[in-house]
Amino acid sequence: MQSFFQTLVSGLSFGAVYALVALGFSLVYRTMGLVNFAHGAVLMIGAYVASTFYLSARLPFAVAVPAAMAATFAVGLVIERVLRPLENKDFDLMLIGTIGAGTVLEAVAIVIWTSSGRGVPSPVRTAPLDIGGVRIGTYNLLVIGVVAVAMAALSLFLQRTKRGAAMQAVAMDHEAATAVGIHVGRSNALAFGLGAGLAALAGSLAAPLLYVSPVMGDSLGIQGFAAAILGGFGSIPGAIVGGLGIGVIGSFAAQSFQGYSDLVTFVVFTVLVMIRPTGIFGERTVNRA
Amino acid sequence: MIPRPLAAAAGAAATALLLAACSAPGSGTSTSPSSSSSSSSSAPTTPIKIAVVDAQSGSESDLGQFEYRGVKLAVDQANAAGGIDGRKISLGLFDDQGDPTVGTELARKIASEGYIAMFGTAESAVTLAMAPILESEHIPNITSGQSTKLLAVGSPYLFLNGPTGLTYDSTLAKYVVTTKGYKKIAMLTNNDSYGAGEHDAFLSSLKGLGITPVAAQVVPADQTNMTPALTAIRGSNPQVLFIGAEEAQSGLIVKQARALGMTAVIAEGAPAGTPLYMSTAGTSDANGTIVSSPYLGNGVNSASQAFASAYTSAYGNAPELHGAKAYDGAKVMIAALQACHGCTGLALATAIRAVHYEGLLGSFTYNNQGVGIFATAIGVISDGKIAPITS
Repeated sequence: MQSFFQTLVSGLSFGAVYALVALGFSLVYRTMGLVNFAHGAVLMIGAYVASTFYLSARLPFAVAVPAAMAATFAVGLVIERVLRPLENKDFDLMLIGTIGAGTVLEAVAIVIWTSSGRGVPSPVRTAPLDIGGVRIGTYNLLVIGVVAVAMAALSLFLQRTKRGAAMQAVAMDHEAATAVGIHVGRSNALAFGLGAGLAALAGSLAAPLLYVSPVMGDSLGIQGFAAAILGGFGSIPGAIVGGLGIGVIGSFAAQSFQGYSDLVTFVVFTVLVMIRPTGIFGERTVNRA
Repeated sequence: MIPRPLAAAAGAAATALLLAACSAPGSGTSTSPSSSSSSSSSAPTTPIKIAVVDAQSGSESDLGQFEYRGVKLAVDQANAAGGIDGRKISLGLFDDQGDPTVGTELARKIASEGYIAMFGTAESAVTLAMAPILESEHIPNITSGQSTKLLAVGSPYLFLNGPTGLTYDSTLAKYVVTTKGYKKIAMLTNNDSYGAGEHDAFLSSLKGLGITPVAAQVVPADQTNMTPALTAIRGSNPQVLFIGAEEAQSGLIVKQARALGMTAVIAEGAPAGTPLYMSTAGTSDANGTIVSSPYLGNGVNSASQAFASAYTSAYGNAPELHGAKAYDGAKVMIAALQACHGCTGLALATAIRAVHYEGLLGSFTYNNQGVGIFATAIGVISDGKIAPITS
């Protein structure tokens, strides 16, 4: 039983990071109808920027993370601006453009920080909680808390603010949104920027748990993408449930199937998606970018 | 009457066949001389082209960077001293992306572009894929790979710049079991070619000492959550945890093991002797790790101090094992080229095998299988540094 709960706890910890990644995917999809394949690379940039502020500039971690989010928000704006000529014209080229943006970001990371990665010490130095032999890292609890706050903040933004409502209106019908005076380009830019900020938050929080390297966004991006699909692409609560779900499934797969855990995780994921193709909270709010 | 396009195509095909039949035997489209030549037919002032093939992107890119820097330092020093009979060595860097398929394409590319030798790769799987092509093109290759599968290739053109994985792990197993008296040993390895090799080598070494592991878990090479595997191992209460994974993943394993409250002594081969492992694990969690490595640090002797000083001056960072291995491999190649006055092909391979070189990793004397170093040393990490054990 101790082993079961330990495995569950570790799955939820990593699942929280996947949930954050999935939130960024879902936000951009919800507001633009676009799957941003540069999301993993943006996460990696966020992790590098945060770790540079934390380790080199010696800023407190609580300051380094928002600073990294602000810097990566700007990266998101740049990506959207480059892709803007294709908006509402060629969806497929936009998708390919995001793949290209990801490749460029990885190359830029290698130029700036070299291909050598870096370990980031945990900003929380207290000993893990021990509950009946089950160890729960205090930093892991912090990550879960931040994810919960991020989800609440994003939901409030989309539902209770004019900007958030405008973003959703653009997704539903960009022509009608334009007709009522909403600037589609700026709305999409904000979506991309916020998505990038969420990616940076995920990367920054993941850095002390993992290892910051130019390819760290690859596997996290895939896990987050799967989480977003599992939860229902475009759904904010779905991103959380999907992320935690992928984390827990992966954790128990690793316990039982060892070297084949990735295979088992994605077989289970495939079966679940075949049963419910739109995901757990599946919804269709957009037509196209 | 034959249509004109068809006639043109037939003419072109006939011409190509004629030219192929008349071409010289040996390395096909390569500009390098045939395998049996004992000296280069190029003019004396032309550079000697040597390829460096390693991952410069992807998850193995840090290893690739270490290796390139070690090789380049040795080559720069040789060129500054006059090169090979006045000829400079020109390095060409190629990115294999850690992918065996890309490696095979690069093997053909470097042969066609006139490279006479190759350093790399740092990944045994890629080196294994390239070996048959390099053998057919008569291109000697000094690799950082350590898999015993490299020896099974049986190529007279393939050389290792360090010990085999079996040497690392048999030395480690002997120290842990015989010297320290540990009996409850668990294993955690990954499932890529390196991890699988480490699993097999350490397991066979343990069995040779009459020890059966109390637990053995395998994780995917890109796994980041090792807690489930470590939880399974924790239940067997091992005294020692042997890790067979690359630097970053090894560091994560140690970090997560300590977070789970595991106090087992960590034991590992080459990856644990690197700054990458220590920074990922964290200084306090890395302390106490038993390391089997032929290069226990930059301050072990005057040669390693001189190497570290030159490396740091050139690149701004201190070197580690992979850079030292690559440096030694390059020095061996340079010594062979000097001895045979810039020869190529089988003559160069023969010259490499004849080299006796006192390197950073030890005394190099190559056998017929291409192995030149047959021992490692044991060190223990303390305060972020490896110290050789005192016997």
